Amino acid sequence: MATQSARTSAGQRSIPWVLISRIGILIFCVLFLLVPLIGVVGEMIANPQLLVRQLIIGLTNGAYIALIAMGYTLVYGIVEMINFAHGEVYMIGAFIALTLIGLFDLTEKTPYSVRIPMLLLVLVITMFCTAMLNVVIERLAYRRLRNASKLAPLISAIGVSFVLQNVGLLWGYLRFPAMNGVMGVNAVAPKSFPSLLPNDNILAGLSSAFGENFKIRLAGKDLIVVIVSVSLLIALYLFIQRTRLGKAMRATAQDRSAAELMGIDVNRTISLAFLLGGAMAGAAGLLVGLYNGTAVFTMGFTAGLRSFTAAVLGGIGNIVGAMLGGLLIGLISALSDQYLSAKWTNAVVFGILVIILVLRPMGLLGEEGGQKA
Amino acid sequence: MNKTTRAWLTGGIFGGLIALISAGLIGFLAGIIAGMITGLLIAQTTILRTPFEGFRRGVQSGLIAGVFVVVGQLLRGLLINPIIDPRHAGLQAVYTAALGGLMLSGLVAGLFGAINTLPVPRNRTMSLGLIILLVIAYPWLDQLLELRFMNEIIPVIVFVLMALGLNIVVGYAGLLDLGYAAFFAIGAYTTGLLASPHLGVNLSIWIAIWIAAAVAAIFGLILGAPTLPLRGDYLAIVTLGFGEIVPIAVNNLDKLSINILGYNIVKDFDLTGGPKGINPISRPWLPFIGEFRADSPIPWYYLILVIMALSIFFIMRLRDSRIGRAWMAMREDELAASSMGIDIVRTKLMAFSMGATFSGFAGAFYGSYISAIFPSSFAFDVSVMLLCMVILGGMGNITGVIVGGLIIQLADRLFLPQLSQLVQKLFEKSDISVLKELNFASDFRLLLFGLTLVIMMNIRPEGLLPSADVRAELHDGDDEPVVGAGVKQTA
Repeated sequence: MATQSARTSAGQRSIPWVLISRIGILIFCVLFLLVPLIGVVGEMIANPQLLVRQLIIGLTNGAYIALIAMGYTLVYGIVEMINFAHGEVYMIGAFIALTLIGLFDLTEKTPYSVRIPMLLLVLVITMFCTAMLNVVIERLAYRRLRNASKLAPLISAIGVSFVLQNVGLLWGYLRFPAMNGVMGVNAVAPKSFPSLLPNDNILAGLSSAFGENFKIRLAGKDLIVVIVSVSLLIALYLFIQRTRLGKAMRATAQDRSAAELMGIDVNRTISLAFLLGGAMAGAAGLLVGLYNGTAVFTMGFTAGLRSFTAAVLGGIGNIVGAMLGGLLIGLISALSDQYLSAKWTNAVVFGILVIILVLRPMGLLGEEGGQKA
Repeated sequence: MNKTTRAWLTGGIFGGLIALISAGLIGFLAGIIAGMITGLLIAQTTILRTPFEGFRRGVQSGLIAGVFVVVGQLLRGLLINPIIDPRHAGLQAVYTAALGGLMLSGLVAGLFGAINTLPVPRNRTMSLGLIILLVIAYPWLDQLLELRFMNEIIPVIVFVLMALGLNIVVGYAGLLDLGYAAFFAIGAYTTGLLASPHLGVNLSIWIAIWIAAAVAAIFGLILGAPTLPLRGDYLAIVTLGFGEIVPIAVNNLDKLSINILGYNIVKDFDLTGGPKGINPISRPWLPFIGEFRADSPIPWYYLILVIMALSIFFIMRLRDSRIGRAWMAMREDELAASSMGIDIVRTKLMAFSMGATFSGFAGAFYGSYISAIFPSSFAFDVSVMLLCMVILGGMGNITGVIVGGLIIQLADRLFLPQLSQLVQKLFEKSDISVLKELNFASDFRLLLFGLTLVIMMNIRPEGLLPSADVRAELHDGDDEPVVGAGVKQTA
């Protein structure tokens, strides 16, 4: 009896399920990715100016995606949990920024000499608030679960994300006179930001030089978003690489108990990771609000998943990887918006996420054995 | 806290809240529910010797719980009703319902208490029988008390059925699936395509429902296969990705054109109806009853009860079968299970496809019941709500999942809207303009779900009624001995 069951189970094992599933994925990829891709490349070559315009959009999107992705990668690197609520922290950041803009009464008519320092102040306050929010979330919802099974903190994080989304919804009801009407009339509808960033084409001078056919547009706000994001990313990178606290973070990521034995306050280091991630998400919230001109309480979910995809693509836990991943995801979604259809962009991003997780879970820059499950 | 106190307090709070929030003759139902909860809890916590003693204790606690119902009923009838509707008189009905609720609470709790004193296998059967009797008699009760809840109860049971399916994947096999609503969508859309004039294929729903379940199972295999090497949270994110892709695809496949190397194979083909969905889907037909109609929910109610009963039986047999034990072994330790000769690949795929089957079944029934399906009914929050139901009740325990599912679904579909109406009317009397605008049901729904998840995870990760294994696992480091670990049924 025993030998018979052993034989049957051995017989079942000889069916190469993994191979079959790999082949299935391959066929799927060829049919639904490679064939359309050839057509898309053809279109790209036919109209290079449009391609350049989309690449610029992709670059700006990539900059903010990289900012949000920092939060995922820092937290995952240290606590090995997916902070599912991180996208919502970014959304709350946008709402805080909008509220502050309303409170400071910044409009299109405010002169630049006032507007720039005020916007910087808004940036700092927003970053501070979201950083604190993230730390509080960690303290209340995740810390107790640090030694529980892996699914407990993830489920808790999903709960937090729902709560925050609801907070964003209720935020729309805050329509005090002091806020100068930034929240609009309908509480649930998307809120619009005043267009505070310059939207003039910087390359306007070039079109006179190259003639009528030159239609590439690079607005001032594209540059501003990229510059602010990149400087924040560089600052974060330097902080983690050069400072004592950064060193503590890297040590904790490598081996928590060893770091604890070396006298590193692990709880404080974890809080620091959440703090930095939250600050980056807040900055992204302000930048995206100013860049796209709208904020809505559902924006966190998609942005969060895109950024998480970026973090995984680059190799989760790897800071440079998250920057690279953010850039790639930004470019891919901008190209997909143009050449495929904006309706399918989310599906494309999720498809990429699935394919990376299945085929190369350690990501582009990650090391072998990256999936610590 | 004394266990008896906890029993009547739980029952009383449930019954009292129900009576407070829904006005009218619901006081009777609130009494029955309060009595049932109290009686069942008493039965679990105290050792009673003779049926008479059990009955006495049950009646005592049931009456105390009934007092809550009376308080709720009186608060509503005497305090709140005059504020929101001054013309409303009907004090007679309030007193009748309050008194009826008190009596029924005592009586039902007494019955459950008395049953508890019988020897072990018989008291379980009797308790179960009493609950089944209540469930079967519900449409009659609904009519008698003029509740008109039937149209809400049926989707509630559909969702509980889905939660049972998800419990196979999450509770038994330990694979966190965040895209479970995708299979619901696949089941519903398969039925929509096969049993409606949309494509011109107009199969009977009795055939389509099986095909839908089979298609969902196949999709379970297809979507499960790539996730085989993944574990834990990576698996969760991949399933979430699938769960997002399916509604996007369904939403956008209304002008399908396939063009391979210049050949137009399909051009502007309307597969799923896009955001409009598919409408109408045909309804089941039975001899003696005729075609099921939208305006008479009773046949639907009994049909879903039969499906539910069969599913529970099937899931129980599945749990105790070889594959069920393999799931649980895999959940505990994949490596150890694998070295004991369990084929991990096959076991995982079985879990995915079995879970998907139930979801597909539920989707087919749901599509036929509401006679229309839209992509928006399968969004991420549906998956999370199902997960909430499984977690609140207790992963891996059928009774727990049913209880958790009922609590969440009833709260979502009956309790919240009623509470919302009540609060709305109260706010309209106030002078604060913001409060008048708030739509309680839709504006606080996510908050309540989110808080449920966070609080449950932090306070009681094993759920309200955990299975013994899961409880033991989650309280690994605790000093207190695991209560009830030995009670687990063996196959």
